[in-house]
Amino acid sequence: MNRTRLLYPLSVLLVLGVTPLDVLARIKLTTLPVRERVEIHLDHAQIALVEEERIVPLVKGINQVDFSWANTRIDPDTLVFRILPPPADQSLDAKVLSVSYPPNENALVWSVAANISGAARVRISYVLGGLSKDFHYRATADRDEKTLDLAQYLRVNNNANEAYDRAKFETGIGGLWFDKSLGLSETKEVQLNSFAAVPVRKTYTSDPQQFGYLDRAQDKLNVPMHYVIKNAGGSLGKAPLPAGKSRIFQEDGKGGSAFLGEDRGKFTPPDDELTLYLGLARDIAVRRTVDRNERQRIAGNLYRYDVTLKYEIENFKDSPVTLDITESVRQIRDQIRGDSGRDPEWQLGDGSLRNPDPDKSNADTLLFHVDLPARTAEGQAKKQIQTLRLTLNNEW
Amino acid sequence: MNRMIHWLGLFSLLLPFAVLARNVDLATVPERRAVQLTIYNSEDLTLVRERRVVTFKKGVNPLQFSWANTLIDPTSVELRFREPKTGLEMLDATFPHDKPQTLYWNVQSDADREAMIEISYFTSGISWAADYLAIADADEQTLQLESFVRVKNNSGEDYENAQVRLVVGTINLVEKIAELAKVPVGKVKDELKREEYRELRQQAARKMMLPAAPAPMVAMDMAGGAMQEMEAPKEIIKEGLSEYFIYTIEGTETVPNGWAKRLRSFEAAGVPMTIQYRYRPREYGDQLVRLYLLKNDTVSKLGTTPLPDGMMRVFRTNNSDSLNYLTTQSLKYVPIGDKIELNLGADPAVIFELIKRKVSRDNLWFQIKGGNLYRKLGEDNMRLELDSQVAGWDEHTVYRQKIRNYSIKPIHVQIRREIPGDVVFRSWLNPTLHDFQTVQFETEIPASDKAELDYELIVRQGYNQKQNRVELQSGEAGR
Repeated sequence: MNRTRLLYPLSVLLVLGVTPLDVLARIKLTTLPVRERVEIHLDHAQIALVEEERIVPLVKGINQVDFSWANTRIDPDTLVFRILPPPADQSLDAKVLSVSYPPNENALVWSVAANISGAARVRISYVLGGLSKDFHYRATADRDEKTLDLAQYLRVNNNANEAYDRAKFETGIGGLWFDKSLGLSETKEVQLNSFAAVPVRKTYTSDPQQFGYLDRAQDKLNVPMHYVIKNAGGSLGKAPLPAGKSRIFQEDGKGGSAFLGEDRGKFTPPDDELTLYLGLARDIAVRRTVDRNERQRIAGNLYRYDVTLKYEIENFKDSPVTLDITESVRQIRDQIRGDSGRDPEWQLGDGSLRNPDPDKSNADTLLFHVDLPARTAEGQAKKQIQTLRLTLNNEW
Repeated sequence: MNRMIHWLGLFSLLLPFAVLARNVDLATVPERRAVQLTIYNSEDLTLVRERRVVTFKKGVNPLQFSWANTLIDPTSVELRFREPKTGLEMLDATFPHDKPQTLYWNVQSDADREAMIEISYFTSGISWAADYLAIADADEQTLQLESFVRVKNNSGEDYENAQVRLVVGTINLVEKIAELAKVPVGKVKDELKREEYRELRQQAARKMMLPAAPAPMVAMDMAGGAMQEMEAPKEIIKEGLSEYFIYTIEGTETVPNGWAKRLRSFEAAGVPMTIQYRYRPREYGDQLVRLYLLKNDTVSKLGTTPLPDGMMRVFRTNNSDSLNYLTTQSLKYVPIGDKIELNLGADPAVIFELIKRKVSRDNLWFQIKGGNLYRKLGEDNMRLELDSQVAGWDEHTVYRQKIRNYSIKPIHVQIRREIPGDVVFRSWLNPTLHDFQTVQFETEIPASDKAELDYELIVRQGYNQKQNRVELQSGEAGR
């Protein structure tokens, strides 16, 4: 009987003589089949699958191939041992007969039958704990904030207690692979993609439900700013953008760049928008008040409400911007008459805000785009009044 | 390499049992000629049958059987005479108070002779479990399914060259063998009751042993196993029996104490499968999941055996012949002919969104002054006073189910939504009712395309609720 030992990290023992399974710790003569090739598959969201290819010498008859590991979190139940078909001019036929698991050891023994002596090419795959990945981004906006360069990075953190001299990594993003070494406790960062001159929309948003008030007593809303990038067009839109931290910079026009902040980007499928928070805009003031709240009894305890929200908006910037006003009708209803537990039934009235963005509005959410001119040359900001008139039907 | 933890001693003093209390004993140890293990996976139970050749003298022969440090149920030990079947008689069995895990038999022989005896008993600590490996082809049309059985021996005893039989199915036990193994028989207070238990248990287990023609329990000679052209993986013979299935592993196996051994039960390549996307929040949570669907039948190159409970690991090969890990799930027993569903989880290439587009209410009914009189709004131009209350209405909600397929293949999506109450489901989606309150509809979405499925729910609330079921209606959502 022939015995081969694949000691993790890197050893293989060829044991001569007939030895029963439970006397493994005897004198052995060993060969060490080295890793010919290692692939690390990171395509699964949580799990890293390592696949190594080794050439294992087999003798005619039954061979024992030992695979053992120490201080690594190999999940032995996920081990798959595949013998690759030999080249056409070879007739080596090898099959796995059984697998034995010794007590109190991180090891297993494959019993492999071979029809002739020869070298078999085998693939050993296993799920390895401690090998994690994350994604992050670097966005550099141009001076006028119309486009930005988006770089996407993958970081592989090796806490698996195992080194890989050369491995092919499958990233799981758009079919991308890379070849790198990965040492013990190392973190490897590679740039996966670089999307140049991606159109970016800088948004200013008022949304009392999501972003709240800057000054509740004065009815002043927070106006957060975002860069919005659509995962579509150019080289974008081919694959989802995985969630990850983005650092945001802007070219300063002097060859350098200024750091604008950072945000965690959400998983963004193609055709969806990646929204990166930039902080609060201090030069745009939005006061939101309930201008009118009247109820009309229809019958019994059934009422109709006529509600008008008024927005007083000032743009102190020297450039025109678009303000996105977002409202939750349910929140408005709850504010003026309390929560009935039912969805509001509403109609838009004849306020100035009458054309919600159809792609971003639904039964509860309304989103309006409002253009704000730049302040005048004299430094005066023009106050703009917008109204949102809603009829809330069938409330009781 | 038998640890010789349990052994059978034939006392050469050839004296009746009463004399055994002496301090000096002489014993011979007849070796185990053959052993058969029948392992149940539903209970911690293994039936061991072993054969030994013993030389008897004419008259009464004492036999000692002991099993220190093992998990044998002492109430289950049985002695039978195999060859010859007559001329030998077991007179009595004694469990001595001073020697735990030991018993004595007095055997009456009518002549000096060599005899083959069979000792059977239940032990715990030997278990088996099935597990599965599924590897889908790169194009996900077929998969390769391998099934394994893993035998684990923690019984305290090495069983060498044992014939191994595995029982698929559940049996009833009134006591756990592992507990019985710890209790000396003499300490059992209610002997009669114990006797009943034993009967019950043995009936249950032996019922399935009998019809299976006992495989030849020939002592295997492993050392001289002349190597043939090539050793093939052992076959596992599957036989149906009553409500059970018995797997017999070809030849014999040696599983030392503490070890586990995994053997292939079957292998099927090119098993056809289909892919379905399902939204079933009760089964899979609030997400659209991707499934591989296959069948345990002969058309699918399976169907030779039910699939016992076990862990299924699912991989897919890619074009460079390496593997991608997809999922691990526990497979519940799959009868022959039944379907196998492998849940691969959410697919990031398929985006599933439900949008609530519009809400309205109509058909409002009022309860007049808290009494038994109800009036519909707008009927008879009747003026409804302040003390009339809304008591019933129809709530209309228009939804759009958006599904975007960014994968390179067309997909088949099935959606189930449970809608409690008195409900009308209005759409052009050709839905069906999965049950009285669950609507099911399906759609195909080409590669790199999307679907927008509109439907309207009309839920009759309060006084208007007359039923508790969904009614399907063809029509435009939101009118």
